Amino acid sequence: MDKFKNKFIEEATDNIEELEDSLLLIENDTENKDLIEKIFRAMHSLKGGGAMFGFSYLSDFTHNLENLYQVIREGKRTINKEILDITLASVDHMKTLLTIDDLNNEDVIRQHKELIEKTQNITNNTESVEDNQSNEKIGSYNNVEEKSYYIHFEPQAEVFKDGTNPIFLIDELNSLGETMVLAHFNKLPEYDKLDIIQCYTYWEIIISTKEDFNSISDVFIFIEDQCKLEIVEIADFDIFSNDEIVEQISVLTQDSEDIGLPKIQEIVKKNSTVKILNKELERVIANPNLSTPIKENTISSIRVSANKLDHLMNLVSELVTTQARLNLIAEKSENSELITIAENIQKLSRQLRDNAFDIVLIPIETMLVRFQRLVRDLSKELNKEIIFLTEGADTELDKTIIESLTDPLLHILRNSIDHGIESPEQRLKLNKSPQGKILLKAFYSGANVHIQIHDDGAGIDINKIKRKAIEKGFIDENTILNKKEILDLVFLPGFSTAENITDLSGRGVGMDVVKRKITEIRGEIELDTEVNIGTTLTIKLPLTLSIIDGLLVKIHKTHYVLPLSVVDKIYVTDHSKVVNKYNNMIVLDGEQIPFYYLREEFDLPESTQEVEQVVVVKYEDKKIGLVVDEVEGEYQAVLKSLGKIYKKQEMISGATILGDGTVALVMDTNKIINRFSQTIVNVKQNNI
Amino acid sequence: MSKNILIVDDSESIREVVSFTLENEGYQVLVGVDGKDALKYLDGRSIDLIITDLHMPEMDGIELIKNIRTMDAYKHIPILFLTTESQASKKIEAKEAGATGWIIKPFVPAKLLAALKKVLR
Repeated sequence: MDKFKNKFIEEATDNIEELEDSLLLIENDTENKDLIEKIFRAMHSLKGGGAMFGFSYLSDFTHNLENLYQVIREGKRTINKEILDITLASVDHMKTLLTIDDLNNEDVIRQHKELIEKTQNITNNTESVEDNQSNEKIGSYNNVEEKSYYIHFEPQAEVFKDGTNPIFLIDELNSLGETMVLAHFNKLPEYDKLDIIQCYTYWEIIISTKEDFNSISDVFIFIEDQCKLEIVEIADFDIFSNDEIVEQISVLTQDSEDIGLPKIQEIVKKNSTVKILNKELERVIANPNLSTPIKENTISSIRVSANKLDHLMNLVSELVTTQARLNLIAEKSENSELITIAENIQKLSRQLRDNAFDIVLIPIETMLVRFQRLVRDLSKELNKEIIFLTEGADTELDKTIIESLTDPLLHILRNSIDHGIESPEQRLKLNKSPQGKILLKAFYSGANVHIQIHDDGAGIDINKIKRKAIEKGFIDENTILNKKEILDLVFLPGFSTAENITDLSGRGVGMDVVKRKITEIRGEIELDTEVNIGTTLTIKLPLTLSIIDGLLVKIHKTHYVLPLSVVDKIYVTDHSKVVNKYNNMIVLDGEQIPFYYLREEFDLPESTQEVEQVVVVKYEDKKIGLVVDEVEGEYQAVLKSLGKIYKKQEMISGATILGDGTVALVMDTNKIINRFSQTIVNVKQNNI
Repeated sequence: MSKNILIVDDSESIREVVSFTLENEGYQVLVGVDGKDALKYLDGRSIDLIITDLHMPEMDGIELIKNIRTMDAYKHIPILFLTTESQASKKIEAKEAGATGWIIKPFVPAKLLAALKKVLR
């Protein structure tokens, strides 16, 4: 039973989340019937499941709430702010009820009683003497039953002449209900006899709709005397809900001939007995959650535990490593059969890897509900008006990345709401619209995903940051910094620009923690701001954590892997061109590119090779050359951490095992270039 | 590109309610006070739909429709006319003159837009 209980908790959490989501949406669209249905449905399954799995408090509580929404569904009450607030508070309470077995905490009991009472009050205010249990009756769902019609529509040839476009009418039919439209072109004349302002097409349409006969014939009202029109009711139910009928009709439509009314009527008649049985069955099943989704029942997804996925990913990683070994041995053996097999396995394991990755990618949408809630609650608390917009919510990221991203993003949002967006009065003074905007935008950029949080609030004064940094002793008064460098100071531990820390942002997490968390998942964070215009935080993230496509290079006796995503081009160069250079610049393809001779930077002896290779990588918006002994080729690197001892060094982000069992180090080119460029600056400063 | 709609009616209030509704929907609206006045807009510019009243001084709706149907540039554009329930004969007359459809007065914005949807995308 416990197993089912866990499943229910999982499901209930989803339901509650969906509920919350719909509630936030309905706030701006209180009349939206679909949303009300959705809310009602979520409540209903919470109630039903709760009772079954021993969450009787949750069940009773939700039942109470459901009564209120029954009234709303029947149109006896519209949703207002009061109802929404209570419902949202109830949703929070439901979450609590899910986690506890018994009501023993006094606060929870008080909350429980209070919410039940409030909900009942609202419900009773609208309902006179009606029985609360009425919602258990099924069948009140679709008050108007759908009916299906057959339409034969054949406009006169001259119909275009006075500005009628039959396609618009078909479109209008489409908006009335589900349709199947068949256009017939068999009256089209030979090409040279074709008159383009004549209409040769006619249509057969099957439509299922809740609208009555008149609204269908109204569609054709302007041209009823200019067309041959036949509208006949063929069934008193939605024939599209009957797969048999749909299938048999589609078989008919395959030859371009007319279906014709008699044939359709025959099909409907043959199948409607089955349909009636189905209908009875639906009525018997009392729970609408069991009866409605008959159509949706085709399973499109399954639930898999996260552990299994992690395990799968590990296995795939191991496979990729082993496959590299196989490749190596196959090549050495010079056995062509073995080489073919090895190549096939390489192809397959690459596909397997890509597929496995795809499985663990989930859209960032999944964390948005929490953000919407935060924005709503916080802005209310702070008396600010904020619109929260999202873009690219379907962008997908590794599950683990999303998990570790939620907290930093919440913090950033909290900052934007608390410090970024000004109060409505202040905004009006600044000639801005009183409503602040926060935009969360996600998009792909190469092998990375970028997430931007943009607000149109007060922005951050650079001079203020600098003053503060000097005060705190982070920098010297004389240090000359550009805008980016100043903004980067914000991410230093112990830095906070808030004049007075409110209890909101003072939750113990500073921007340094945000940065650290993002760095932990191999991400980068950047800040850009303009006083009174707003602030943009950009987070760059790798698509996934465990395997990267890399470029295998050799320096001295060690192999290194450069992430392929940063590699721009590879050049061959003479040894003499890269050593003992005063300015560390090399001309490649007519372009001057600064470079680092990695042997020298790594304190290795100078190479005796005459020819070396330059890998040009992207660094911020610039190109930087890294000189290595030789480039060996592409390599799929399964990242392994270096362990705790090497945690402090930043230049190597991990290691990977090569086919022959040796270890290659994965370079973090950004960090490496950063580090070396700093040393140069320091050396220069010391010299002055 | 937003659609251009020409409204022709001698009653200012009708003109206003129609233009208000249409502009709200994002259409560009041109206004003529009668048939003759409307013709001045039909100078080759792009117009996607004409909505005209039938009873107007100078040139009435039927004549305007007939006129438009002779112009090469506007021969086939949709024309809706405004009419009342009682004027069934007028309806036939206007249809024969080449109108695409009609809008029955009095109308609410939704009805106007529904009629529009039949002839304009």
